[in-house]
Amino acid sequence: MNSQSLVRYYRKHRQALVTATSGLLYAVGWSLGQVTSSDAASAAVLVLAAVVGGYDIARTAYHEVRSKTLGIKTLVVLAAVGAIAIGEYWEAAAVVFLFSLGSHLEGRTMRKTRTALQDLLELAPDTATVRRDGEQQEVPARDVEEGEVVIVKPGEKIPVDGVVVGGESAVNQAPVTGESTPVHKADGAEVYAGTVNQEGALDVRTTGAGSDTTLQRIIRRVEAAQEAQSPTESIIDRFAKYYTPGVLALAVVAYAVTQNAILSLTLLVIGCPGALVIGPPVSIVSAIGNAARSGVLLKGGEHLERAGKLDLVAFDKTGTLTRGETAVAGVEGFGVEDDDVLELAAIAEKKSEHHLADAILDAARQRPRPATDGGTTAQQTAGTIPDADTRSIPDPDDFDVVAGKGVVAHQGGREIIVGNRALLAEQDVEIPVDVAASVRDREQRGETAVHVVRDGTIVGVIAMRDELREAAPGVVAALQDAGIETVMLTGDNERTATAVADEVGIDEYRAALLPEDKQAAIEGFQDDGHIVAMVGDGINDAPSLATADVGIAMGAAGTDTAIETADMALMADDLDRIPYAVLLSKATRWNVLENVALAVLTVTVLLAGVLTSYVTLASGMLVHEASVLAVILNGMRLLRY
Amino acid sequence: MSDTIQFRVQDFDCPTCASTVERALANVDGVEDVEVHFTTGRVEIDYDDSLADDETFAQAIENQGYTPQRA
Repeated sequence: MNSQSLVRYYRKHRQALVTATSGLLYAVGWSLGQVTSSDAASAAVLVLAAVVGGYDIARTAYHEVRSKTLGIKTLVVLAAVGAIAIGEYWEAAAVVFLFSLGSHLEGRTMRKTRTALQDLLELAPDTATVRRDGEQQEVPARDVEEGEVVIVKPGEKIPVDGVVVGGESAVNQAPVTGESTPVHKADGAEVYAGTVNQEGALDVRTTGAGSDTTLQRIIRRVEAAQEAQSPTESIIDRFAKYYTPGVLALAVVAYAVTQNAILSLTLLVIGCPGALVIGPPVSIVSAIGNAARSGVLLKGGEHLERAGKLDLVAFDKTGTLTRGETAVAGVEGFGVEDDDVLELAAIAEKKSEHHLADAILDAARQRPRPATDGGTTAQQTAGTIPDADTRSIPDPDDFDVVAGKGVVAHQGGREIIVGNRALLAEQDVEIPVDVAASVRDREQRGETAVHVVRDGTIVGVIAMRDELREAAPGVVAALQDAGIETVMLTGDNERTATAVADEVGIDEYRAALLPEDKQAAIEGFQDDGHIVAMVGDGINDAPSLATADVGIAMGAAGTDTAIETADMALMADDLDRIPYAVLLSKATRWNVLENVALAVLTVTVLLAGVLTSYVTLASGMLVHEASVLAVILNGMRLLRY
Repeated sequence: MSDTIQFRVQDFDCPTCASTVERALANVDGVEDVEVHFTTGRVEIDYDDSLADDETFAQAIENQGYTPQRA
C-alpha cells in the first residue's frame, strides 16, 4: 500500500480509526489504573484517549457554538472537559469513546437507510446507443433527444422512456413498477428508463430522457416524501426546541443546589433528545424507501401516518377489481346458430362507440372461419391474430343509438336490435320466458347481458364480462384479516354488482353509482367516522381519490399526474400491493410510536437515575447512545418489511 | 448569476448535525438559499456563482466533519 492510498484509506475510515484508537487508549488507561499504582500514567493515557476521540467532536462543537446551535457535540465536549477539570479522567475518556462509537454506528446505519434511495438512482444507465446520421453512436443517456431512436440490446438496461418501434422482447420492469414477472413488449408498447431488456433487441423511440423520465420522477417524489416532516416529527421538533434549553436550565439549577459538577454534566449529556428526534424520521424514511423498491410511491410521512389509521378501503370496480377489459363471455342462440347471433349484433354495433360494442366486434371478428375451422368459439385476446385471419363485418345500412339502452340498425332488408330490457319494451318486442331466464342467469354471474333481435323476434343473448383480476379475492381477504372493511363502488346494476361482490368476497357494495355518487359515498363513510382509502385509476376516479383520506392510484407508471398527486401510487396495475402498502403504513405508525415510547422511557429512567445518583456520566452516555441506536435499528426493520 | 448545486452527505448521524451544516453553509458568502435534509442527506444550495463555488461548499461541509459527494 503506497502512502497515497494510505492517506485515502485514512480519510475514508477516519471516524472508525479515531473511535478504535480512542477505545484502545481508554482500555489501556483503565487497565493501567487497575494493575499498577501509577495513577499519573493512567490519567495521562485516559486524557489522551479523550483528546484523540474528542478532537473531531470538539471541532464540530466549535462550529455548533459559532452558528449558535446547542448541539449534543457541544454538550459532550463540555462534559468531557468538566470531568477532566475535576479529575474524573476515566469518566471523560469513557464519555468521549462511547459517544464517538455511538455516532459512528448511527452514521453507518443511517447511511444504509439513505442508500435504499441510492439504489434507485443507480438504476438508469449513463449511456445510450442511438442511430444518428445513419450510424450507431454511443451518447450520454441524458443527451438523447425526444423522438430519437435508441437501440437496446438484450441484457441491457433501457436508458430512456419511450415507445417500442422495432423488435420484440420481455422487459423486467421490477425496478420501476415492482412487477415480478417480465412484461412482453412489442411495437407500440411503452418502456421505462431503468428497466431491463431481457430477450431480444428493441428499437425505442424516445419520449423522455435525463431528468424527464418516470424513474427520475419517482426518485424526486420519493426524496420529497422522505424529506417532508410527518405530524409526529413536527410535534417533536417543537417540543425539542424547549426541551434542550430546559435540560440546560435543570443542569444549572442542579449544580447550584448540589454543587455536584458531575451530576449536572451527566444531566447535560443524557438530556439530549437523541432517540426522540431521530426515531420517527428513520421509521418513515425506511418505510418510504422500502415501498419505492416494491413499486409503491408514498407521498410522505403525513400521508403514511394517516394511512396507518385506515379502517375502510373502497375499491372502484371497473379497472380496479376487474381488468377493465370487457369481453364476450357467452353467446346463446334461440333458434339460430350462436355464431349468427354474434354476426348480427356485430353488424348493428359496428359504428357504435360503446365499450360493449367493442367487445362484441372483437368477438365477432375472431370467430374461427367456418371454411377452415368449424370449432366452437375459443376466446382469444385482441391483437394476437393477424388481420388476414379475422372476419370482416358488413356495414349496417343505417343505425340509431338509443343512449343507455342499445342500438337499432338495418342491413340488407333486416332490422336488427341489440339492447337491454328497456329498449325491447320500447320497441314492443316480447321476451320469451326462456330468454328472460337466461339473461337473469347471466346477470347473477356478474355479467352484462344484451338481447339480439332480428325482425321483431329475439334470436339470441350475448353476455359480456369484465374479468376479475385474479388477485382481487386474495387482496380483499388480506385486508379483512387486517381488520379493514372493504367496499366496492360501481356503476353496474344491482344484480351484476351483487354477483361481483360475492365473487370477490367484499363486505359491502354500492351499485348504480355515477362518478359524483362515488365521491358522495366516500364522504358518507367519513361521516360515519371511518378513515377511508379509495383505490382507483387516478384519472376517472380523481375526485373520489382526492376526497378519500388516502387516495391510492393504480397503474401510475406513465401517468405523471397520478405520480404527482395520489397519496399512494401503485406503479403497476398490481392489486396485490394494496394490502402490502396498507399494512406497511400500519407497521410504520406502530414503529413511530414504539420509537417515541422507547425514547421517552429512556430519558425518564436516566433522569431518575441521575437524580438518585445511580447513573454516572459514562453509564448515562452508554444508555443514551444505546437508545439512539435501538430506535434507528427498530426503524430500519421497515426496510425489510 | 444564480445557480443551484446539490451534494449528498451520507454520514449525518443526527438531525442537529444537519442543521449545523445548514447554518454553516448559509454563512458562506454568496449563498442565497440552502436546504439540508437529515433523512436523505441531500444538500441543495442556491448561490451566486460570482461569489462562491462548489469547492467552497465542499470545504464548508468538510469543516463540520462530514463527507460531501457531488450529486
